[in-house]
Amino acid sequence: MGTATPDESEREPAYERAAQKAIRDPEIAYRFAFYMVTAFFLVTTLFPFYWLLVLAVTPNDAIANMGILPKFITANGIDPSLFNPEVFLTVFEVVPFHTYVLNSLVLALMTTVIVLVIASLAGYVFGRLTFPGRGPLMLLILAISYFPPAAFLLPLFRLFTGNVDIFGLSSPTIFNTPWSMVLPFSALFLPLSIFILTTFYGQIPDGLEDAARIEGTTRLGALFRVIIPLSAPGVATAGVLTFISVYNEFFFSFLMSDGQVPRLLTNFFANQNHWSPIVKGILGYQGQYAQFYNLMAAASIVGVLPVVILVVIAQEKIVSGLTAGALKE
Amino acid sequence: MGEVNLEDVTKRYDDVVAVDAMNLDIRDGEFLTLVGPSGCGKSTTLEMIAGLTTPSDGTITIAGRDVTNLPPKDRGIAMVFQNIALFPHMDVYDNISFGLRLRDYPTDEIDERVERAAEVVQLEGMLDRMPDEMSGGQRQRVAIARAIVRQPEVFLMDEPLANLDAKLRVHMRTELQRLHKELDTTIIYVTHDQAEAMTMSDRIAIIDGGELQQVDPPLTCYNEPNNRFVGGFIGSPSMNFIDAEVDATGLRTESFDVALDPEAAGLSPGDHVSLGVRPEDVYLTEHSGDVDNPSQPIDLVTDVLEPMGDQIFIYLREPGAESSGMDADADQLLMSVAPDTDIGEDEPVEVVIDRDRLHVFDGEGDAVLHGLTAKRREVER
Repeated sequence: MGTATPDESEREPAYERAAQKAIRDPEIAYRFAFYMVTAFFLVTTLFPFYWLLVLAVTPNDAIANMGILPKFITANGIDPSLFNPEVFLTVFEVVPFHTYVLNSLVLALMTTVIVLVIASLAGYVFGRLTFPGRGPLMLLILAISYFPPAAFLLPLFRLFTGNVDIFGLSSPTIFNTPWSMVLPFSALFLPLSIFILTTFYGQIPDGLEDAARIEGTTRLGALFRVIIPLSAPGVATAGVLTFISVYNEFFFSFLMSDGQVPRLLTNFFANQNHWSPIVKGILGYQGQYAQFYNLMAAASIVGVLPVVILVVIAQEKIVSGLTAGALKE
Repeated sequence: MGEVNLEDVTKRYDDVVAVDAMNLDIRDGEFLTLVGPSGCGKSTTLEMIAGLTTPSDGTITIAGRDVTNLPPKDRGIAMVFQNIALFPHMDVYDNISFGLRLRDYPTDEIDERVERAAEVVQLEGMLDRMPDEMSGGQRQRVAIARAIVRQPEVFLMDEPLANLDAKLRVHMRTELQRLHKELDTTIIYVTHDQAEAMTMSDRIAIIDGGELQQVDPPLTCYNEPNNRFVGGFIGSPSMNFIDAEVDATGLRTESFDVALDPEAAGLSPGDHVSLGVRPEDVYLTEHSGDVDNPSQPIDLVTDVLEPMGDQIFIYLREPGAESSGMDADADQLLMSVAPDTDIGEDEPVEVVIDRDRLHVFDGEGDAVLHGLTAKRREVER
């Protein structure tokens, strides 16, 4: 290169010049890599939403041979006959989609409450007491959370549909009620919350719990009056993660309800109330002879909104809960 | 009222015995200090009285009630912790009233009691502050207010002043004594600082290795230590110990002899004992005019001098020995003299020991004699 004349270097290909520039100034290469990775993640996460939006606003009979651009953008400008934003109202007319969303929210809320209460007790025990077998037991609980849900499906399905005899009595039929979903959800999502809360509760100084017990609480009272309030970021993290996981859950949501139009919150135990969550709502737009792809896409977007709102609101707590956790006495 | 009795209280952790068959009777209204080196079991004892730890054996009674298996909240006690342990998510008012609110007191009474407690510890006008906005001393006072507001029968204090700076510690020491006078409640106080134990207590319980060594008023512990450990632990700087052998006419050490009738002291010739001498009981011969029963003069050489302002500590060594600095294990004699004494390092001196104030400990370390003269105090056996 030292012998190259200016004329020769001008004739070098562009990529070679770029490479030499990057060697002289590595910052450029790093920045390039950063933008590439960012772009990759943005495309893979945001493109599905863009695509849902495009599908939703395109009338169903026009959905064929879709390009990357929405169909209403044509060579001659915008074609209003191919742009159908009313679809977001139509979804609620064809199927009472809001009741499915409400069901999902109630299921998520119930599971979150159950998980937080049980995980708090377990987290207290694992985080603050020493007893033989603590490590193996914790490991066992974590291992259970890695089991594939499919492994539980058949036995649970038989149990929840009343096909298992226990001492001559058949098990209660809870298929189609919230319990058939809340129970497996709680079991599956408990280990993560136990793990989060164990680390948080373990960090509260012993002196504070002792002080609370001397002042007149029981161990349980100290947990609820002192340890949990001081672990608020951890409890919020565990709660939000559980809520979102349940809201997004597919497997048991799909299999533990019959998908018929739910009756609103009438009875938590009667299985003819059809406690169908969002998944079933979206599939409800699948007719026997027609697939309303635009409605399914619109419903999917509507269904995502509650989680988006929750994450935006709780973002700060989640981040501080996942990263920090240290507490000054 | 507030008397506390420990009967054969034992705490074992796996194969370690933290507290060994402790018997202790604490009177109503008494300020009793548990003192001892780190890990001696004093905090464990306090935790067992508080109910935070369950004893492996034995019975604890508070105010005549067997509380051995009661939870802390039902024992009628309050506690102040070394790390203060204020609830960081509550303001001062909520911290102080925590126990009262748990017991569903009416709001008026809570207000009134919190006001009064805040007055006692001089925290008026700070009730709406958060703990992290306060200084160490103020926080400690909140912790004390939290303890007194419930008017318990017994206060437990676990090194409450250990985390404060030196000046504040001395100040809080007098505050605590004032508080004890004002409240007239039993206080059980744990510390490893023997100065705190000496200045505040009605009685001191000295603990070592989980066993009670002596329970007596501070000056008795100082003047008549039950054993070598107590002699060495109480008093700063600590007592000198010199190995000696008993013969027909007295005690013989490497550098000097002390006259004593061994028969009268219950010793027999050939016994190995150790002599305990406090630094203030060693005198330069020229200053020993007031000593009634001085020992024979001993020739020594000054080694290191520690001028403290109100007195000078002098490490003495034998004339032939090498200087060994301030190594505590070295065979040295520590004495204290008045601050205006004209003395330098490496000077030969002649000292005498006040025989009235010599302590003799037998081979097991138990005290045999306090004072070698007719004024000696027999040790009760």
